[in-house]
Amino acid sequence: MIETKKKAPLVSRSKRSDLAKREESLAYKLLIPTIIILLLIAIYPLGQVFVTSFTDRQFASGQETSFVGFENYRRLLSITIKELPPALDEETGDVKIDSDTGKVVYERPIQILPREPYRYREYKQFNFLGNRYVLGATDPDFIDAIRNTVTFTVISVFLELALGLGIALVVNSHFKGRGAIRASMLIPWAVITVVSARMWEWMLASNRVGFFNTLLYYLGLGDGQIAFLASSNLQLAAMVAVDVWKTTPFMALLLLAGLQTIPNELYEAGDIDGAGKIRQFITITLPLLKPAMAVALVFRTLDALRVFDVFQVLLGQSKYSMASYNYFQLIGNRNMGLASAIGVVIFLIIFVFAISYIKMLGVDSDEA
Amino acid sequence: MFKNKKLLAMFTVFMMLFTLLAGCAAEAPADVPEEEPAVEETEEKVVITIAAGAVGQELELTKEAAAIYNEANEGVEVRVLDTPDLAQDRLGLYLQFFEARSAEVDVYQIDVIWPGDLAEHFVDLNQYGAASVVNDHFPAIVENNTVDGKLVAIPWFTDAGLLYYRTDLLEKYDRQPPTTWDELEETAKIIQDGERVEGNQDFVGYVWQGNSYEGLTCNALEWIASNDGGTIISPDQEITINNQNAVEIIEKAAGWIGTISPRGVTGMAEEDARAIWQGGNAAFMRNWPYAYSLSNEDDSAVKGVFDVSALPAGNSGAGAATLGGWQLAVSKYSENPEIAADVALFMASYEMQKMRAIKGSFNPTIKALYEDPEVLEASPFFGSLYDVFINAVARPSTATAPNYNSVSTAFFRSVHGVLTGDSGAADALEELELDLEDLTGF
Repeated sequence: MIETKKKAPLVSRSKRSDLAKREESLAYKLLIPTIIILLLIAIYPLGQVFVTSFTDRQFASGQETSFVGFENYRRLLSITIKELPPALDEETGDVKIDSDTGKVVYERPIQILPREPYRYREYKQFNFLGNRYVLGATDPDFIDAIRNTVTFTVISVFLELALGLGIALVVNSHFKGRGAIRASMLIPWAVITVVSARMWEWMLASNRVGFFNTLLYYLGLGDGQIAFLASSNLQLAAMVAVDVWKTTPFMALLLLAGLQTIPNELYEAGDIDGAGKIRQFITITLPLLKPAMAVALVFRTLDALRVFDVFQVLLGQSKYSMASYNYFQLIGNRNMGLASAIGVVIFLIIFVFAISYIKMLGVDSDEA
Repeated sequence: MFKNKKLLAMFTVFMMLFTLLAGCAAEAPADVPEEEPAVEETEEKVVITIAAGAVGQELELTKEAAAIYNEANEGVEVRVLDTPDLAQDRLGLYLQFFEARSAEVDVYQIDVIWPGDLAEHFVDLNQYGAASVVNDHFPAIVENNTVDGKLVAIPWFTDAGLLYYRTDLLEKYDRQPPTTWDELEETAKIIQDGERVEGNQDFVGYVWQGNSYEGLTCNALEWIASNDGGTIISPDQEITINNQNAVEIIEKAAGWIGTISPRGVTGMAEEDARAIWQGGNAAFMRNWPYAYSLSNEDDSAVKGVFDVSALPAGNSGAGAATLGGWQLAVSKYSENPEIAADVALFMASYEMQKMRAIKGSFNPTIKALYEDPEVLEASPFFGSLYDVFINAVARPSTATAPNYNSVSTAFFRSVHGVLTGDSGAADALEELELDLEDLTGF
């Protein structure tokens, strides 16, 4: 679609008719009420969040608030990488070797990471070019929250797109009871997230009270005691499962709307020209579905990046998403200033995603 | 043309983003229950709302007490607002009421660890008639609830961690109730193995509260205190958590997971543990006293075949029980603080505490009730474990106020990391010590 822009005749821009100009200014005038409402309900609170993020304000407290500049941001986002030197044996001065594994023992990160002016905590250790490094962060929980949220978003949106497309194609074809299927497929999406999260909590229970443990047990997998919500390597997978179950119908609905705008004649022409079903899908369906897909992706991605309810209900304080970490800092720790800074960071991350979508998918381009 | 449209489209997308963020910032609490529609407003009754817990029979009993009060007081209607089960979530809800200075809730049920943090939002009950009754209550709790000379809350019920055990199974495997953690481990293993061989694949030895929340702070504090490892931060504001005894006992507890306790225990709160216990699928359970009367109800698989004792001991030679319990406080923002205080004092009175003790095995905070024959008949352990209740170990909430919640969160997250195998106990506690220094400045 970017190509079409370049091909657009330059003449038309300079020779725009008066009519077009007038229409355009009318359009702007018509937008004014919307803009005013948005200013009131969106920009004002947003501005307040920005201002609060530079203070040390406490939530629900009479304590005095003071301006702290960028301190909240520094506390949240500072990261550092330090090399871990091998630990030396105190007596011999040689490099220590673990007697069990035969590997070199390194100094512990807690000794190496800086403590002033903010203390860095260990986030991860890794090897690079034969040396051992530690990645330290002033707030590893938040860095982890960002990582969790982005991983969650990428995987769940991808799965939703794939499954949603499949479902949309099925319910777009003609068969008996299509209306009923279309209506009933929306049920998971219509259930309130907190309610469906509770439902999944039971299904994911860590003993055979839970559906999944019972099922896997009878299939001969696992011992019926798998802790889906408590073991750190299964938690994200469980979150993705809940989200995919819940929002695939929404994705399917948006894609279905896109599918219905594709004229049938194109497929008929394809048939005449001898294109197979797969060829038709690749050359007709996909390109024409792209705008609808772009909208669906933007919606779902921005939504998934803000994920709160599933994480809060199912994982609480054991694993955070960006939004649930925000909630914890505000409500649990009453750090309103820090929580506001988190809000701003979330905003910026979502912003980056939105811009890259616009660039990549040409959401903004003119179809005329 | 393109340029303008592109701008417009971008503008629209940004606007959408702004609304999203604003939505984030102003996100309504997911758990705020809908206020019941006002009915029968014709007589202009004074409505007093109590924000109360709903764990086990709590809600039912609070409503019952409210009904008694309503009957006796013509012009007043006491309503009970159901609040979230997890203390952390409940605190979140309360804070939102306080931030808004809301008059919607008049009386709050608050945890024993909150008076220090929340004192500024409550009235001094001593000025509303509590002074004459306060000396009947446990002095340690009254002291806990007194902040800068103000009685911010009247004790309602107290709690202490107890060990529930199956008398029938101990007899079957010829074992005694455990008095040390080692004995508990051994006995739990024997019973668990035996029951599984006999066909109950879902049977586990020991269930407790291992989820990443305040309940884990209570459990871990019991382990550590019983092993002579201190109370995280001592009353004179010294950070004591990084010591060998604490490391040792947390490692021991981590060893239970997957052996005598199910792996899912790191996701369990009180009610999850009770569900397994009450289904007859556990030999031992650590829980609060409220589970006693529920376990004795007709639908319980363990009715009549269990008993309670003090928690096992570690190095210190004696078991430790974390002091829990809930208080009633009257909001400073209430429109009718006098009536609200009267309701709170009524709820915490001898008669009402007695009713709750008999029907719900909620531990009274009034000393005399531990000698009341009717109470002792319903819950015999009140008498035998009186020492446990009166000597319960307090969490370091006073020493760390107003930062207790951050301290406890740092603590339970770090213990949780050890339990799930993400870190070693020694490293975790060393790190925790530094974290606590940062948080508290001690």
